[in-house]
Amino acid sequence: MGAVTYPNDKVVKFVDYNFVPVQIEASNTALMNQFKVSWTPTIIVLDADGNEIHRVVGFLAPEEFISTFMVGKGKYYFNAEQHPEAQGMFDEALRDYPDSAAAAEAVFFMGVSRYKMTHDPKPLRASYETLTAKFPGSEWTKRAAPYRLIPN
Amino acid sequence: MALNICWLNDLAKAKDHARQTKKPILLDFFNPQ
Repeated sequence: MGAVTYPNDKVVKFVDYNFVPVQIEASNTALMNQFKVSWTPTIIVLDADGNEIHRVVGFLAPEEFISTFMVGKGKYYFNAEQHPEAQGMFDEALRDYPDSAAAAEAVFFMGVSRYKMTHDPKPLRASYETLTAKFPGSEWTKRAAPYRLIPN
Repeated sequence: MALNICWLNDLAKAKDHARQTKKPILLDFFNPQ
């Protein structure tokens, strides 16, 4: 990550604008154990109270890094019940990185966030249909499978 | 350009900074070797 992803200008601007970045060396066994980290790189999104929101293990190239942590930032807002902000992040990830590995998760959480904001279940059904059409092999499509039973 | 890491090995200071800025923390466990 230090050789390829972190020197990338887009990554620098994205992280600087959206996150408080902290690096923990693998020799810090106290924090490695506290967060049950057994391989590096492991990158975790936390809220200010230290609650874990999103975790990725392994290398991410710059575009996958940005799209992955756009979804992580969206889930940060989602957990805080800030749904317009959450949907803004999911929408940005889908608009800028529609073919990324993180896009299917963005579709899933977009539907859930819209449902939580409106209590209308139709966005859940819509997320299932989008996932089935665009990401048929994704684990997020499987997780959304029950939403196919929601009437149109 | 290079990533400006706010804190190295200091999660407590990062939490304070996260509260002040209302941003989430990006906690990167890495092996410097």
